[in-house]
Amino acid sequence: MSSVVPVAVTGMGCLCAAGADLPSCLETLFRGERHPQPPTRFGSGHPVRYPVFEVAARLPGDDRFSRTARLALAAAREALAAAALSPAELAGKRVGVCFGTTVGSAMNNEEFYRQFRDGEHPEMDAIERFLGSNPASVVAREYGLAGPCQTVVNACSSGTDAVGIAAAWIRSGICDIVLAGGADELCRVTYNGFISLMITDDTPVKPFDRRRKGLNLGEGAAVLVLESEEVRHQRSRPARAFVAGYGSACDAHHLTAPHPEGTGLKRALAEALTQSGTSPAEIAFVNAHGTGTPDNDRVESRVLAAVLPGVPFLSTKGYTGHTLGAAGAIEAAFTVACLERGEVPANAGFAEADPELPVTPVREATAVSGRLALSQSLAFGGNNAVVVFERGEP
Amino acid sequence: MTLRLAIQGVGAVGAFGSGTQALRQALCAGEVPVGTLQVPTAGGALELPAYRADTEPLEEFVPTRALRRIDHFSRLALLGGYLALQDAGRLEADRSRLGVVIATGYGAMQTTFAFLDSFLDGGDVCSSPTHFSNSVHNAAAANLSILLGATGPSLTVSQFELSVPTALLTARQWLAEGRVDAVLLGGVDELGAVLGYCWQRFFGVPDGLLRPLEIGRQSAIPGEGAAFFLLTREGEGGRHGLIEEVRQGNLGGRPLSFAAGSRLLLGADGHRDCSTLYGGSLPVDARAVSFSPLYGSLPVGPAFDLAVAALAAGDNRLFTPPPQGANGLPCALLGAGPFGEGALNCLKLGRHGDYGLISVVRG
Repeated sequence: MSSVVPVAVTGMGCLCAAGADLPSCLETLFRGERHPQPPTRFGSGHPVRYPVFEVAARLPGDDRFSRTARLALAAAREALAAAALSPAELAGKRVGVCFGTTVGSAMNNEEFYRQFRDGEHPEMDAIERFLGSNPASVVAREYGLAGPCQTVVNACSSGTDAVGIAAAWIRSGICDIVLAGGADELCRVTYNGFISLMITDDTPVKPFDRRRKGLNLGEGAAVLVLESEEVRHQRSRPARAFVAGYGSACDAHHLTAPHPEGTGLKRALAEALTQSGTSPAEIAFVNAHGTGTPDNDRVESRVLAAVLPGVPFLSTKGYTGHTLGAAGAIEAAFTVACLERGEVPANAGFAEADPELPVTPVREATAVSGRLALSQSLAFGGNNAVVVFERGEP
Repeated sequence: MTLRLAIQGVGAVGAFGSGTQALRQALCAGEVPVGTLQVPTAGGALELPAYRADTEPLEEFVPTRALRRIDHFSRLALLGGYLALQDAGRLEADRSRLGVVIATGYGAMQTTFAFLDSFLDGGDVCSSPTHFSNSVHNAAAANLSILLGATGPSLTVSQFELSVPTALLTARQWLAEGRVDAVLLGGVDELGAVLGYCWQRFFGVPDGLLRPLEIGRQSAIPGEGAAFFLLTREGEGGRHGLIEEVRQGNLGGRPLSFAAGSRLLLGADGHRDCSTLYGGSLPVDARAVSFSPLYGSLPVGPAFDLAVAALAAGDNRLFTPPPQGANGLPCALLGAGPFGEGALNCLKLGRHGDYGLISVVRG
């Protein structure tokens, strides 16, 4: 594999518990604010009320669509507006959609299934909503897009993979523009699932901290508008950033735990750096996966120490919770925004260094210099994905 | 994107059995036995005609003990994957640069519902961690990567009936970029009682005879199975032909056009709305056929269509069509004969005008 032509990012949209759009998310991050609380949209029989990060914003669309699809629509709307792409401008272009999700592709409606089990002959509304809510398809239909459409279900690396795959679609010439991102909603099924795995913290998440106990779930969506140089120059649009490289590799080790030596992550990092023609010393900062689970943070910190020694890093999940299939896209948007600002926020929740971890994240908002930054995701199934971003034009 | 993909191995499991020989036999016979799916309804249990797949032959490749916690969905994927590697003669090959791509319409539904059962039965505190971790959509790809020791990239996509064409786009990109030396790509979907319930609510109970080219008639029968392919770059030749082109789009913005006399292997699978789309989209000078009567209707049907096209290219023969019903298409039926030059185009039309096109030529 060799270095590749960078692909421009011309617009971004993001919503999560930190804010209803990307600028407000950034304000929240740099104010150091976070407000996880027990879920308000569903009940729980657990004796402990595990906090989550919910989106408070009003969403576009209606109840024909899942909440995940509506989150995707909100992020896409903001991203297209930021890229100054109207429906008229999209018409006639080869525009693809590549989205990551987990919940958004799962047929797991609890009420429908409860009725089915109880022999109650449930109505089909929930199934029709599921069939009509594939995140990539919903976004494509909303804007009349006729290019390739792909929903990536690679668990927690889905959003990062979606950005990397979308960039490849531009480079290979099958698309002029791609809306790349991720979306996921909070639901009782995943809430119960992560609690059952005993990797959920009953207090606000503490990535990379000695006292970390696990993740807090979150919800949200983000979209990056990727554009070919030909179309971007026709439109005279500046690039906010470039997708400079992407790497992905599988640990082939365990269904839910990372390889203890981080073999897949190391390979994904090496691929992403090679594709971007970059050396580790050129990386200004890393937006780490940093879920706050003991295993993830241990492995990730060891790999960062070995591959990117001395490079500042942080996890933004302290502000958003773990948004699963959306996480990689949200963190990609934050990475680009931080490159633009030349600073990264504090790693929320980190207070006490863990002697088992060879490196520690940034404790406070920190100025960063350099043109390149990394966003990385580790996932169930042993998936690892890394995207390298290069700062765009001023 | 011009890279052509060489199909080195095919591994398929469905109601026809498992392996290329079983699929060839079904193609020659023109029929497979249709089984049943038990569906509980308010009016009592219902037996829905269904194409069921048996994963017992997996024990040839994986010790039973290693399969203890692996569900039916993952077993379908494992069997399809191992069969494709075996067919390619690469069961023992190094897998450090092997990528894995799985396309699925619905994922491991049965395990998802088993997870729901765990907390509906015992309360939230009894949620099963095993069922949860196996219900994640990429669990099958993970199981495949773990058992094979495949450390290249792994991807699972879910785009309903367009899952296979879109998965191929990414597999081709991985090979074009030199990210991998080979990709094990497959489509997997499984049947279950909930799907059966939904089926009879949406479509009624099939009469047991799938007639894919009868426009406007609902005759689809649900199916399950897996069809896998070992894909490499063109330079290595292709035992089962080459994938010349992959296209995915929407008829609204990117109309399809075909060369005169095109040969089409349709993903028509007996759904009324779907067959109507084909009826309105094909040129009169094309020739078309569907092999869905051999594997039924399932979101990853295009993987089975591709398996048939690959065998046809490799064997240099177009198979005799299974019963199609009265041809309501504007074009003629594509009958048996030599594969010859030119492409066999696997065309899937989905809801809202979405389409996927996979063109196969001889190697």
